[in-house]
Amino acid sequence: MSQATTVAPASPIAGVGRLLRSPLTARIASYLFLLVAWQLLSLYEDRFPPPADVFGFLWIEVTGGSHGGIVRGEFLEHFAATLPRFTLGIAISMVLGIVSGVVIGGSKIAEALLKDTLLMLVALPAIIWAFLTQMWLGLGDTAVVITTFLSAFPFVAVNVVQGIQAVPRDLRRMSGAFHVSSYRRVRHLLLPAVTGYLFAGFRFAVIIGWNAVLLGEWFSSSEGVGYQARYWYDANRYKGFVAWVILFIGFIVLIDRVALVPLQRRAFRWRDTQVKQAQRRVEGIDVAVTGA
Amino acid sequence: MATLRVEHLNKTFPAIERGSDATTAIDDLSFEIGGHVFVSVVGPSGCGKSTLLNIVSGIETATHGSVSVSEDGSPARLGYVFQEPRLLPWRTVMQNMLYVLEGEDVPDRARDYLRMVGLDDAGGKFPAQLSGGMQQRVGIARAFAVEPDLLLMDEPFSHLDAITARSLREQLQGIWTEAKKTVLFVTHDIAEAVQLSNRVLILAPGGRLFADLPIELPYPRKASDTEVAMAQAELLRRFEEMQEETDAARATDVAS
Ligand SMILES: Nc1ncnc2c1ncn2[C@@H]1O[C@H](COP(=O)(O)OP(=O)(O)OP(=O)(O)O)[C@@H](O)[C@H]1O
Ligand SMILES: [Mg+2]
Repeated sequence: MSQATTVAPASPIAGVGRLLRSPLTARIASYLFLLVAWQLLSLYEDRFPPPADVFGFLWIEVTGGSHGGIVRGEFLEHFAATLPRFTLGIAISMVLGIVSGVVIGGSKIAEALLKDTLLMLVALPAIIWAFLTQMWLGLGDTAVVITTFLSAFPFVAVNVVQGIQAVPRDLRRMSGAFHVSSYRRVRHLLLPAVTGYLFAGFRFAVIIGWNAVLLGEWFSSSEGVGYQARYWYDANRYKGFVAWVILFIGFIVLIDRVALVPLQRRAFRWRDTQVKQAQRRVEGIDVAVTGA
Repeated sequence: MATLRVEHLNKTFPAIERGSDATTAIDDLSFEIGGHVFVSVVGPSGCGKSTLLNIVSGIETATHGSVSVSEDGSPARLGYVFQEPRLLPWRTVMQNMLYVLEGEDVPDRARDYLRMVGLDDAGGKFPAQLSGGMQQRVGIARAFAVEPDLLLMDEPFSHLDAITARSLREQLQGIWTEAKKTVLFVTHDIAEAVQLSNRVLILAPGGRLFADLPIELPYPRKASDTEVAMAQAELLRRFEEMQEETDAARATDVAS
């Protein structure tokens, strides 16, 4: 046919249209929507501080300015208290989660013995651990770290179990037929197959663990992000409370975007090429169809 | 080159669920092959061909009977081309080759055999970036690269397009004549079996050996050669005989 293909020429209007439909625009729109909804809500409910108040408070908190009187912004101090507890809790969860995941995933008996317990742990909310560790251990770092660890650990273990059980049988048999050494099998077959699941487990652990550290500090600490949220809550200063909740959420979103997602992308280069390949194929078909 | 001895081999898969029957995949199978031979095993789908290769390679165990592979008395090295490529998807083609290779000059060897299957440039690519046919060729290169005494091939060309399959069949004859390997080749394609092998084993459903036929024609053979076509007709006749027999057996089974 002599008709031109429907591939759009690069006009500015088409460019704007594409921008409007881009995922970035959608994400910005979702933030704007939240802000507007928040603003509207604060108009009708006095105890719901408007965004401007909260962000003003946040600014003082982060820059270390004064809230009036002797109370000063203490952002850095409290994050400095929370981060080591969080990191330690996550580190222990990863180590014990991988070990127990390998054991449960690798042995039928261990699976029968432990898998249900693991699922119960997954279902147990972090706040239960926060209460229990406070009862057992009182105030202090240990209670917070243990709350973090106990809440995050089952997610790591469950994911590792799944990863190990998902190693393709065909590839295991191929390795057997070629008498590949166990070292190579672990390095080139088991680990890459488990990586995806381990990443999922790690991401869960970070998110769940961050929630748990907040709860742990709410009940068992006199410093840290969770304690700070409670401090403003108990003082009936809702904008302070909301500001710390925002700091708390902002931190985890940032960690996810800046560290976890790129890391994951790098580890899955082999799979991304597959996706790109498939996309190219689809585009190829599009061109063939419109060009016909 | 190796000697493969299969004696009274039986493989029964236990019933998966209660109430269903156990499956006999191989039933009292005996044969011996050795030296510079290319032996094909043909038979209908489900007659135990892949199971046979799995037992020979050691990834499946026999229920009864024995299988031994030896090379001058010592254990032989095996290469296996599977029905599917079976490549590690998260490793490049080159890394996939190195995964199974031991010893010196390993990268050179890997490159040589990739060149043999026409994939010199694919070493740095991931399997997902290759076509199905190219992936299968990597699988073939991998099996040759271990320089096996006995090479097991399980319908290696059945997933490929006719043109690629034809050219690989011709290449395979060349490599086999030159590299002097013992090959056990599984297929359900009679024409392919006749073109490639100097001996054909016909398996009947249930994994019984139905016939053991020599094919004495000089290499290289083309699918279009008259002698090859005649041998094909002969083999096809035996195959039909086997099918009539099993159909008759099934009919009496049903009647009784
Ligand atoms: N792991 C298994 N568990 C139970 N039954 C099995 C198993 N593997 C194979 N079988 C059965 O054994 C029989 C032979 O299977 P096999 O894969 O060897 O057939 P095949 O001759 O290779 O067939 P095809 O030409 O379709 O590849 C079939 O009936 C199959 O259902
Ligand atoms: Mg098969």
